[in-house]
Amino acid sequence: MDTILTVSQLKKVYGGRGSRTTALDGLSFSVSAGEFTGIMGASGSGKTTLLNCISTIDRPTSGVITVEGTEVTALRGKALSRFRRERLGFIFQDCNLLDTLTGFENIALALTILGAPAGEVEQRVRASAALLGLEKVLDKYPYQMSGGEQQRVAAARAIVGRPALVLADEPTGALDSKSAGQLLRQLDQLNREQGTTILMVTHDAFTASWCRRILFIQDGVLFRELRRGDQDRRTFFAQILGVVGALGGDAADVW
Amino acid sequence: MFGKLAVKNVTRSLKDYSVYFLTLTFGVCIFYIFNSLESQWCMQALGQSASYLVDAILIFMDIFSAFVSVVLACLVLYANTFLMKRRKRELGTYFLLGLPTGRVSLLLVLETLLIGLLALAAGLGLGILLSHVLGLFTIAMFSAYPAELGLILSVPAIGKTAVYFGAIFLVVMACTGFSVSRARLIDLMQGRRKNEEMKERPLWQSVLTFLLGGGLLLTAYAMLLTRGLLRIDPLFFLMLALGTAGTLLFFRSLSGFLLRLVKGRKRLYYKGLNLFVLRQFNSRIHTTYVSMTVICLLLLLAIGVTACSVGLNHTIEANTDASAPYDFTLQNYSGDVREVDIPALLTANGFDTSRELRSSYLCSLRYGTPRPEEAGDPGTALALSDYNALMALQGREGLTEEEVPCLREDPLVTGFSGIGTYRVVSDQEAQGLPVRRQLFVGNYAGDAQATEARLEAVLAQPGFFESGSYSLGSRLQIYLENMGTKLLVLFMGLYLGLVFLLTAAAVLALQQLSQAADDQPRYQLLSRLGAPEGMRDRAVFTQVFLAFALPLALAVVHAAVGMTAANAVIAQVGRVDAAASSAVTAAFLLVIYGAYFLATYLGSRRMARGRG
Repeated sequence: MDTILTVSQLKKVYGGRGSRTTALDGLSFSVSAGEFTGIMGASGSGKTTLLNCISTIDRPTSGVITVEGTEVTALRGKALSRFRRERLGFIFQDCNLLDTLTGFENIALALTILGAPAGEVEQRVRASAALLGLEKVLDKYPYQMSGGEQQRVAAARAIVGRPALVLADEPTGALDSKSAGQLLRQLDQLNREQGTTILMVTHDAFTASWCRRILFIQDGVLFRELRRGDQDRRTFFAQILGVVGALGGDAADVW
Repeated sequence: MFGKLAVKNVTRSLKDYSVYFLTLTFGVCIFYIFNSLESQWCMQALGQSASYLVDAILIFMDIFSAFVSVVLACLVLYANTFLMKRRKRELGTYFLLGLPTGRVSLLLVLETLLIGLLALAAGLGLGILLSHVLGLFTIAMFSAYPAELGLILSVPAIGKTAVYFGAIFLVVMACTGFSVSRARLIDLMQGRRKNEEMKERPLWQSVLTFLLGGGLLLTAYAMLLTRGLLRIDPLFFLMLALGTAGTLLFFRSLSGFLLRLVKGRKRLYYKGLNLFVLRQFNSRIHTTYVSMTVICLLLLLAIGVTACSVGLNHTIEANTDASAPYDFTLQNYSGDVREVDIPALLTANGFDTSRELRSSYLCSLRYGTPRPEEAGDPGTALALSDYNALMALQGREGLTEEEVPCLREDPLVTGFSGIGTYRVVSDQEAQGLPVRRQLFVGNYAGDAQATEARLEAVLAQPGFFESGSYSLGSRLQIYLENMGTKLLVLFMGLYLGLVFLLTAAAVLALQQLSQAADDQPRYQLLSRLGAPEGMRDRAVFTQVFLAFALPLALAVVHAAVGMTAANAVIAQVGRVDAAASSAVTAAFLLVIYGAYFLATYLGSRRMARGRG
């Protein structure tokens, strides 16, 4: 399968003389097309920094990131913003939707920013909304939706531009477990049926159990990698919990 | 410790406070300018000739000040609410740390006090400076008025400003304290999450409101045009009410109408950030249509007052030019008895005509017949060469030998002559006619006022009149007579117009800037979605442009109708020179309003780019 994302020898150092914090310390991995990858790690392990670097919001100190053969780390200015809107889709933890726009318009906005032909907009928005079961909330404003619906609208917006890679940063962070489960099921379905490549950052084992593959990060380096393979989600979940325990940080530090 | 925290808070949130601070400073400044008029030179000069006018203007000013202070109080409260909204989280933290409600209120009151005092000082300083600049500016416009202007400090105005703003601050403090005591911690902590309710009104409602607003406006226009401007009776106030209500409904329905209209045109709606901009505009209009109406009416006043006063001023100036073709004319009425070499006489008495005058000409007006004592009406005649010389001085065409004799009525003197139509005859024929009067006309070389004073001093010398009976007419005199009190009232008009314009622009700018601050997260999201900077900047531009242009557009329509009615009134004093007044008003608008627009756009853009 084609490789969508390659991260090699990624380093990110914050601060100057005196107080240097190494967030990423030579991290390398790659993601193939159609994968649903999770990134796990305790607070401060560097997972958010990693996502920021991939999403071009932040710039790494050294190392190379390529998306579909484009060296992202070399892009500047207009090319960067063009790359971001054409090749990436985002789902954030919160502040996802524009509160002045309806669900439909929030999704449509991603297309109009791309400069999609006006005639295509409605049909494409409806198509991606249908994939996420959003037909009924399209005319609602964000404040009229539940948190789960908001995140699903954000997911629909993330895929409507047919990006190479969807980046999700703690998408279930602000959701109750029922809404979280529903959102994850939809993401899983997108991944399996549409072949959408998803990279999701989370610290929650339940959320991570929906992924096909999980990368564990500790102190800025790759600590461990898990693949779900043919296991069912329950077994995978137990396996994840085991690694999380071994990761230290959370429970392990107590002993 | 507590004071320290307050000071620290003020300095730390200076960026948030800058909007608030500007509002207050402008408010104080405008208020001071209005109320210091009393001590301004114009009022003092006016007081000498027409004290009843001064009383009228001062009463008007008092009423107006009350109106302005209500507007300003609303503005300050608005700015304060905006600020509190942005600080909800911070206040929540104080509560969370266990600070009692009373102390939090006290902290906020201290902060308000601090800001208020700073703004009062800055506003007064700016106001004193600006009223001085405005005074100088108006003097420059009315070129002939003797200008003696020092920096005037109006103590009563300062006192009045302090009292009014003290009251406004008390209201603000009370409101702050009240809202803090009622605040619930959960709302404070989640302050940013709460959204304004956004209801899309059905199309028919927008259309209906739009039509109703338009209908009301048309009715008001029709009443204005048929009834004229100055019939003040119950119907007049009904007309004002209709116009205001029409404007209000127009703005209320406009955004919904616009949204629906554009939504129907997919190519436009689904282009770039258009749908975002329209939605922003629409979500705002429900909270801003009232202020848009107020701004529109303020602009209308600004345009109307400025245009009328400038137009009238131009008319008066034109009249002056027609009746004063030269700087002065010295007429010797006893020229029929003895002809005098006037320039030589003046020079001998200490007024050196060759140095003091840029150009001059001495000639004689003659009787129309060789034996005037026998004719019923002897008439007046002028030699062709004299006529041509006078016309040349006025910068006009003369006559040729073939054209004379003929009848003319071009003005010959500055001031009163008593001569209407006269005959221009050949020089040869003129030799045979007896002298009626001597004319000495001229234009001053240097400063008109000083030169004229010297000329008058010479004329006042005892003994000068032994050589003849002279009468001096000067452009300056005519100018002052013509303009006198009228001019001063006009000056007030211009003053008011300018201040209205400033107020409207300042309110708009503040509103837009505070909205831009609210919009910051939205633009951040757009940026994260990959909307390039140029696209976002354009969206900001469109929003600010709509906010500035819409009230202006309607105000211009209002003003055009109003001016037509005003013309009828002003026609009694002199017709309004429409072209000149429109041009000057447009220039004012362009410079002041344009500057505010630009500043607002740049400020909003900076915030949208995330650096503010």
